[in-house]
Amino acid sequence: MGAVKPLRRTTTDTDVLTEEAVETQRPWNVVVWDDPVTPMSVVVVIFKRIFGYSNNKATQLMMTVHHEGRAIVWSGQRERCESYCVKLQIAGLQSTIEQDQ
Amino acid sequence: MVGRHRLFVRRRDGRIEVRLNDLGRSVAREAFGHVVAAERDPEHEWHTLLNAPIDPGRDQDDPLSILNRQNEISTNAELAVVTLNEEFLNDAEAWAWLATLQVALRSTAQAHGLMSDEKLAACDEELLNYIHTLQQLLFELADCF
Repeated sequence: MGAVKPLRRTTTDTDVLTEEAVETQRPWNVVVWDDPVTPMSVVVVIFKRIFGYSNNKATQLMMTVHHEGRAIVWSGQRERCESYCVKLQIAGLQSTIEQDQ
Repeated sequence: MVGRHRLFVRRRDGRIEVRLNDLGRSVAREAFGHVVAAERDPEHEWHTLLNAPIDPGRDQDDPLSILNRQNEISTNAELAVVTLNEEFLNDAEAWAWLATLQVALRSTAQAHGLMSDEKLAACDEELLNYIHTLQQLLFELADCF
């Protein structure tokens, strides 16, 4: 009996670690939210400036924000998402980060 | 402030010419001043608006990110204030104007609860005129980038 307990504990720990590893591998998203006052051209300029997107891509994302109320404008590591989100907030856009579903 | 000519013009040397009259500059001065004050004064009605959550799924955001945001918003607003009377802006100065005007525009709308088309349409005329003026400044400045 004495040898069984550590074995069970080890198995459980491994399972938990594996689940955590999977959890952190899911990418993070930078989300920009619509508002009724920001001019569309300003949103395009901000996307181009912060992400280096082409005019077409920035315009497409802006239209997604406008029509759907939000758009994922960048995905990747949490730290980079947080940094981009802060840059967007500094430029006056409503932005948050979230982990991919 | 609004005439037949454009309010901001990108020159061939890369600088942006500011063609605002006194009224236009006074609107910009008011907007920039509010942003500077809001970052410095925790009691300012915009202060919490400038500290929106980064990750709403967490109880608290990374303090370094919060500090970075505060510093950058303040730096932009202060650069905009000190260049308020300039005839020409370089790229960094023009970006500081754009970011600060946009922060002021969205904070104004949020502070007055105007975050839907219906509420915006129903707000009083003086406030709506102010918002439209900020939008026009932003629209024309964005055209230079």
